[in-house]
Amino acid sequence: MPPVIDKKKCIGCTTCAQICPLDVYGPVIKGQKPEVLYPNECWHCRACEIDCPVGAISMTYPLPMMLLRRPKSMIKKEGAKK
Amino acid sequence: MIKVNPPVQCDVLIVGGGTAGLMAAIAAAEKGAKVIVAEKADTRRSGGGATGNDHFGCYIPGYHESVESYMHELEQGMCKGADPKVQRVFVERTFEVVKDWEKWGINMRPFGDDYVFEGHSLPGHPKCFLKIDGRDQKKCLTNEARKRGAIIDNRTSVTRYISRDGRVVGAIAIDISKPEPEIKVYEAKSIISVTGTGARVYPAVAPSCLFNVANCPAGTGTGRVASYEIGATMVNFDKPRAHIGPRYFVRGGKGTWIGACCDADGKAVGIVGRPEPGEQDITTDICQEVFDLSKKNGTGPIFMDCTENPKETMEHMKEGFYSEGISSLLDAMDQQGISLEEDMIEWGRYLPHIQYSGTCINEKCETNVPGLYSAGDECGNFFCGVSGAAVTGRIAGENAAEYVKSVDSFAEIADAPEIKEAQEFYSSLMDREAGSYWEELNYAVQNIMRDYASIETPRSENLLSCGIYYLEELDRIARQRIKCANSHELMRALEAFDILALGRLILISARDRKESRGLHKRADYPYTNPLWNTLSMTIQKVDGEDHTEMRKL
Repeated sequence: MPPVIDKKKCIGCTTCAQICPLDVYGPVIKGQKPEVLYPNECWHCRACEIDCPVGAISMTYPLPMMLLRRPKSMIKKEGAKK
Repeated sequence: MIKVNPPVQCDVLIVGGGTAGLMAAIAAAEKGAKVIVAEKADTRRSGGGATGNDHFGCYIPGYHESVESYMHELEQGMCKGADPKVQRVFVERTFEVVKDWEKWGINMRPFGDDYVFEGHSLPGHPKCFLKIDGRDQKKCLTNEARKRGAIIDNRTSVTRYISRDGRVVGAIAIDISKPEPEIKVYEAKSIISVTGTGARVYPAVAPSCLFNVANCPAGTGTGRVASYEIGATMVNFDKPRAHIGPRYFVRGGKGTWIGACCDADGKAVGIVGRPEPGEQDITTDICQEVFDLSKKNGTGPIFMDCTENPKETMEHMKEGFYSEGISSLLDAMDQQGISLEEDMIEWGRYLPHIQYSGTCINEKCETNVPGLYSAGDECGNFFCGVSGAAVTGRIAGENAAEYVKSVDSFAEIADAPEIKEAQEFYSSLMDREAGSYWEELNYAVQNIMRDYASIETPRSENLLSCGIYYLEELDRIARQRIKCANSHELMRALEAFDILALGRLILISARDRKESRGLHKRADYPYTNPLWNTLSMTIQKVDGEDHTEMRKL
């Protein structure tokens, strides 16, 4: 579920559904709080999160997209040359 | 049957409301043309620059030595292989666009009074790219287009173009603003086809994440396919290009990263060693083999090491992620507890995206079809990111507005067989009660592209010919099988058919380039033919047949 709407904060302005580049929220229904209808089609561009006037949207990222890190401290412990 | 609305008329129909599309709208409307922009999302936040861009190619007379030397730097860096005629008019008009963008409220000097050039340049060479803050660029451009009277039809997905007597006369679109789709028809004297890159043709590197791609996943090659069908020449489909970036979290914007390409021991592996603190590692632009080879020869993985950045460089870089519209990387790092001060991030090469290949334009952004123009990422013989889109969009808009003055009347297409055919086909997808989802078609195309037009293993006549046959069979089956529940799914299904058609053009072009060049490696033609250095592979539909030709542009 990439974008998550906090329904308590949402004021139903539908900005997120209007501006989503991938139509993740489907058609805008006036006066209705948007729902994430197509979560798998999110590009994680954060447009909805950035434009939400009340900060009601946050992102979650799918596990297969987990970033792969290598802490520098791990190299030092392993005694590798820098 | 899906409802077909009466045609709407305009001088210039702009297909795609990205950076190129809005710049075209502004230019054409300024010259007095009646302009409609058809955009499948919302122009305020759509396309490759939806939430920003941070590098803008800009030639400033006096600051740079000459247009020629500037073009030479682009050719050595990240804009290789452009048609010099188009490249030249682009370069000459960049600064003019930069100044207009500033006037319109886009932050082209985010660091004070001076223009700052940064990144995407060879060490010690003149710098070509302005560092800008483009996070609100699409909103500003939308305002300017509206101010000049351009009509913006958001949630309108154009599906095909119509020509009569060899020239453009209109287009068909589906309205996805309501759950029930409707067909829109445009009678237009000219079309500017600006549908961006082609995403989702090859699989994402993280299986199951279809939209996890470097460029906007809404760009599915529709403009290329629609233009091809009415006779436009396409170019460079045989040449695959693949982005690099964080492995599995697929994202463009490599130039925004400041750090060194390192192996797991933290040793620099880039072509210029460890860059100076605060400098981008140019290896990411010009030597992407590092990422591929390290995987193949077992010396990988390769990491981006930003840990040695001075504090102010780190802050500067992170701000750049917001300007470039890739702040989700920082958000994901925060959520995962990753610190760029302490952690290196693994990078890798992605599978090809369709950019630097597509519609062939001349220096007026005309295609070979009268009335049909193209610009930006859709073009096959020119590329320069957001600046390329901005400048060629403007040129296309100006010339289209001029062209329509020579067209006396609109062609009546309300009863055109193309519309009837589209209505029947789209309705059959909507009416089907049992069948396959659009995702299945998209994944099926990706299987074939990954294995039959690979960049990981060599290509061959046999592989490519089989791949073409498989895609054609897949098309026949899918036409009888895909079902859609609503307008959104219909849009996605039609995109998937475009992705298939685009894949087929790639396979045919690759089959007919009988040599190896760049990532196009042929088992049956292992050598690069120097006689073809100045030629490009073109493909065009002539009398209903696919016709390829190696041509000097």
